[in-house]
Formats: sequence, C-alpha cells, structure tokens
Amino acid sequence: MESIGAANTFILLGALLVLAGIFSSLVATRFGAPLLFVFLGIGMLAGEDGLGRIRFDDLRLTYLVGSLALAVILFDGGLKTHLSSFRVALRPALMLATVGVAVTTLVAGGFAMLALGFTPLEGLLLGATVASTDAAAVFFLMRSGGLRINERVGMTLEIEAGTNDPVAIFLTLAIVQLMLAGSEGSAWAVAIQLAEEVVIGGTVGLVGGWGLSWLLNKASLPAGLQPVFVVTGAIFIFAFAAVAEGSGFLAVYLAGLVVGNRPMRGFQSVMAFNDAATWFAQIGMFLVLGLLVTPSQLVNYAVPALIVSAGLIFIARPLAVFLSLLPFRFTGREQTFISWVGLRGAVGIFLASIPLLSGIPKGGVYFNVAFFVVLVSLLVQGWTITPAAKRLGLALPTLRHPARRSELDLPGELEYELVGYAVPADSPVLHETAIPDWAKLAMVIRNNHVVLAADAGALRAGDHAYLLAAPWRAAQLDHLFAPPDEIADEDRGFFGEFTFRGDTTLAMLRDSYGIPVAADIADRTIAGLFAAARSKHPVVGDRLRIGEVMLIVQETQGDRVSLAGLELDPPEEKPPGPWLSRLQRVATRLRLR
Amino acid sequence: MDIGDLVTPASIVANLRVPNKRQALQELAKRAAQLTDQHERVIFDVLLERERLGSTGVGQGIAIPHGRIPGLTRLHGLFARLERPIPFESIDDQPVDLIFLLLAPTSAGADHLKALARISRLLRERAICEKLRGTDKADALYALLTDRAASHAA
Repeated sequence: MESIGAANTFILLGALLVLAGIFSSLVATRFGAPLLFVFLGIGMLAGEDGLGRIRFDDLRLTYLVGSLALAVILFDGGLKTHLSSFRVALRPALMLATVGVAVTTLVAGGFAMLALGFTPLEGLLLGATVASTDAAAVFFLMRSGGLRINERVGMTLEIEAGTNDPVAIFLTLAIVQLMLAGSEGSAWAVAIQLAEEVVIGGTVGLVGGWGLSWLLNKASLPAGLQPVFVVTGAIFIFAFAAVAEGSGFLAVYLAGLVVGNRPMRGFQSVMAFNDAATWFAQIGMFLVLGLLVTPSQLVNYAVPALIVSAGLIFIARPLAVFLSLLPFRFTGREQTFISWVGLRGAVGIFLASIPLLSGIPKGGVYFNVAFFVVLVSLLVQGWTITPAAKRLGLALPTLRHPARRSELDLPGELEYELVGYAVPADSPVLHETAIPDWAKLAMVIRNNHVVLAADAGALRAGDHAYLLAAPWRAAQLDHLFAPPDEIADEDRGFFGEFTFRGDTTLAMLRDSYGIPVAADIADRTIAGLFAAARSKHPVVGDRLRIGEVMLIVQETQGDRVSLAGLELDPPEEKPPGPWLSRLQRVATRLRLR
Repeated sequence: MDIGDLVTPASIVANLRVPNKRQALQELAKRAAQLTDQHERVIFDVLLERERLGSTGVGQGIAIPHGRIPGLTRLHGLFARLERPIPFESIDDQPVDLIFLLLAPTSAGADHLKALARISRLLRERAICEKLRGTDKADALYALLTDRAASHAA
C-alpha cells in the first residue's frame, strides 16, 4: 500500500509542476519572458533550494526524459520544415553545424581555461558542451510570438540547430573518452566514429521517415491512433539509430523532414498532436533540468560562468558565424542576427551532465557552469530575439488579423483537403483577385443555406467558402480571405513606397525616377540583379541598394524575384568598421575564386 | 519638403466620379494638363507607362500615380478623392478611392523621390485618410493635406 501512496504522491507532484508550467506561460507571454526560461525557473523553484524542497538528483531519469523530449522536439522541427527552405539554407547551416561548432568549442574552451583555470582538454570539454545551438530553444523561441523572419536567416538557424547537436554530442563524448583513456593518438579513430554516427543516423532517419509515412498512408489506422503512431514511430527511429550507434538526434530530425514533406493522411490531426507533444516535451524537459540543478551551488560559479557566457555570446559565436558563412553571401545584418540567436538550451545542460555521469574530476563544475551559461543565453538572447530581428530589418511584416482557416481531411485522399473561410467584408477575394487554379471552390454557405459552387456565382461578404486544395498549399489562400488592414501600422512601408514586377529593367527605373544606373547593368531586370548581386536564392525581405534607393524583395516564385518594393528615401547605412570591411573584402575575393 | 509645396487649392478634386483605373488616369491627366500647361496625351502616356511596371496602388485604398514630364519646371501635385472606389490592381487588391498624382520635371532628381516618399508617408497614416474620406469639400481636403501639425511633418 505504501508504494501505491508514493506513486500517487509522485503523480500529484508531477501534475502540479506541469500545471504550474502551463499557467506560467500566461504570465510569461504578458511580460514577453522567454517561456523556456520560465519552465526552467519553475523547476528550480520546486527544487531543493526553492519552495518545493524536492530533492532530485537522478541523472539517469533526467537523461531519459531529456532524450525523449529532445526526440519529439527535433521530429517536430523537421516535420514543419519545407524542403524548399533547404534550397536556401542547407549549405550555410551545415557549415555552422560543423565548422561553427568546432570554432565555438575552441574559443569558448579558451575562455573556460581563463575563467576556471582549466587545462586545455578540460576547457575544450566545457566548450563542447555549450557549442551547439539548441533546437528546442531556436524552433520554439523563433516561432512563438508570431515573429516572421527572413527565410534565409530563419531557416539557416533552424537547420543549424537541428543538425549541430550530433556534432556537439559527439565532440563531448570524444573528449570524455580521451580524458578517461589518456591521450592515445586516437584523433583518427574519433573522426571515423563521427562519420559512422552521421552515416548511420542519416540512413536510419531517411529510411525510417519514409517507412513511417508509407505505413501511415497504407494502414487504415483508426483516426485517433494516427498521430500517436507518428510520434511513437519517431521515438522508435531515434532509439533505433542510437542503439545502432548512429546519431539518434540526426535520425529523428531527418525522419520528421521526410514525413513532413510527403503527402500524409490525417495531416491536421498529426500536426495538432505533434504541437501538443512538443509543448509537453518542452515543459517536461526544462522542469526536470530545473529540478536537477542546485541553485545554491550554481551561485558559486556565477563569476566564471558569466565570463564564459560573455565570451561565448560576444566572441565565440560571432567568430564562428563569420568564419562559417565566409563562402556565402550573408549581409552584415544577417550575420549579426545569426550570431545573436546562438541560443543554448537543454542539450548543453545534458552534455554537461555526461562528465558527472562518467565520474570525471570536476564533473560538477562542468554541469553548473554549463547550466549557468544556458540560463544566461535563454534570458539575454531569448528575450531579445524579436527586438533584434526588428532592429536589423530582418523581421517581416506580420499580419494583424490573419484569415481564419478551418481544415478538414478527406478520407483516403492525400492530395486535397477541404479548407473553409469566412468571407469578411472587403477581403481581396471579393474584389479583383481570382481563386488560383490549383484550388477549387466546392461550396458556399450563404444565409445558413448550402449553395453548390456552380450555383453560387461570385462570393459575397458574410459567406462561408469551402475550397479544395493541397494541404501544403492551403495557407497560400489566406491572403484572399484576410480582412483589410492586415498589415500592422509600424510595418507599413517595410517594402518601400512602390512595387515593381521582377521583369522591370533598371533602365525603366532610371527613366521613371532619374535614378543613376550604370550603363552595363541598365538592361538587367530586377530579378536578374538580385540573382547576380545578392543571392542565387533570393528570399522575401532581401535588400539591394542602387544609388539613393533601395530594392526590397516582396514576393518570389521559386528562385526568381517576382515582385520587389522600391524604397525611395532609405536611411543611410553606416559603413562597416575598417577591420570588418577588410575581412569582407577578403571574403569577396575568396568567393570570386 | 511640404505637401503645401506640391499642391494649391486649385489642384484638389473633391468628388471625382470615374468607373475604372484607365478613366481615372485620363481624367487626372486632363486636369493636370490644365494646371501645368502640358499636353494631356503626354501626361497620360507617361502615367500609363509607369503603371505597366507595377501598379501605383500602394494599398489601403491609396494610389500615387506619378511620372516625369520633360517640359515641366517644377513638381506638381494633384489630389483626387473619388466618389466611389475603383479597382486599381493595387498591391493589396483593395479598390482605390484616394489618388495623389505627382508630376516631376526630368531634372528633379532627388526632389522627385523625396516628394514621393513624403506623400507616401502622409497617406500611410490611417487617421489622415479617414478624415480625407470623410469630407467632400475641396478647401477642407486642402487643409488636411497641408496641415503640418496634423501630419507631423517633422
């Protein structure tokens, strides 16, 4: 009977903690505090030094909860990433995940030596634990709050976060092994092991993801089980890859990517369930990590940890970003933002518990310092993502009243779903814009009567329109049904004063506005100019200065700029400092090779 | 650059009735021709040519057609409030009911751009547009457009 009582108490406590986490989200949104930090804080509050006085030091349980949660979060991140974004951001993200992690480890390691009197190897170990950006934190903090970021920058950060954990995990394990075994010229073996993890993890992830989506579409599972099947399948893929000595984290991310980019039965319910599972995973993981730490010990490491944090945020990360992105055309602002959003999170704390688990001397120091660094990162960087994006001109205008869309899966039908919209007065669909060919109007509900599309004629305000469209495209219909005034006041003018078609030539701009244009580029189109001068994969929000005016990409079709805004009177840009401009010149020369 | 430098009370049309974009431009070209002593046809062609590159309907029911006219000696503005909104191929697909036409001499250069930016900033303000829509008196419209305090010209 006693054990039943204990179990009940345990469940009660657990539920209370999670409830506290959920309700704290209300408070947090109020103050704009980063939610993950709040969850961590509640865990600490409930812990041995806080109000809850819960003694919790079960490293194994923490590792279990953390791995599971991370698998779910990474899977969700992959699921929501469109392959078209890879086109724009894959290569820079992979550079950040490899070169970036290495540089961060080295530089942060240096700061650890300085601040803690560590040996070089010890310094590297601490550097490696905090070297990867955290997928949970990046996905979560960038997507919450309705922030829309320039696609190139946003996707680079997300793909980086999804792929750099395996590298950091691996570096950490390798250094721990080196420390335990003494250095025996095993650098080569270490590299081979890393390659193995990537290959095995990658294969398991891709094959597993494909299998998962095949099974989902083939087997007629009861509708309620479909989303559960997907999440469980993802966890299986994670564990299978890990047991096979591959990187489970890479595997589960790739699996999500595959599943999310194939036609899927029960798309809506799977996505909704995944959202819920991800929330739960976030809360659970950060609560447990918050419980695990002992704040009174944490304080003892405040000074060295702050030095390491500052070194990481202001020197290691910017340097890593700069070096990793040398081969690519990122503007100074984009690089600054990518540097700033080097969010650390649960993975760092996890990795720092490995020295503790493996009984390395000073194991507690790694854990506490890394924990502190993560706290600082979540607080300082997490809290300022949105202002930073706005200041750097990388936040795209957000819609104030987005259209309300309801979706209905059609049984057995993968290519279409039924989407419904209320038709507000003055929405674009009532005026000039036709419904695109790939969507079909199915029926209209007008004055509480169902009217078939053939009989409905033109839509009217107050109608409810139901359309058939591919699930992955449905969101593109939103703007047709958005009420007017959809752009918030402060965002008006983001795309400049006037809008031009991408095939407008510079000569035409010169003739209309008297803008000086060099003769050799006069017959270039706006689209051609962006492709040549800015990026092979232009994204909405990209800017290009021509003399006094600025062109801003407003819409793309594939890799072609189809609409661009013209800002007539853009604010002067500060020229970069001399050392930065010199580095940029070197970078340009390297690119030209 | 003040709006008052661009328009006079004579360049305000308080209640223009036109059925579509083309006729709106035609009507505005005609009035601008009277104001500036230029050929109506020349003005109309320049405006139409400009619209081909992308509509000057900038959203929220506002259009700012513009162009450079060789014979002009200074910037000329013309403001029209339409009796009924018309389709203008605007960027937000909303019909247009406030039109600010700006014509510039070919030599205007940066002044032309600054004036366009100024007009655009003014008409981005919801409060101003509401007031402009709320009156059909030419002198009231002129006062609204040129009131520096209300448009915090700074």
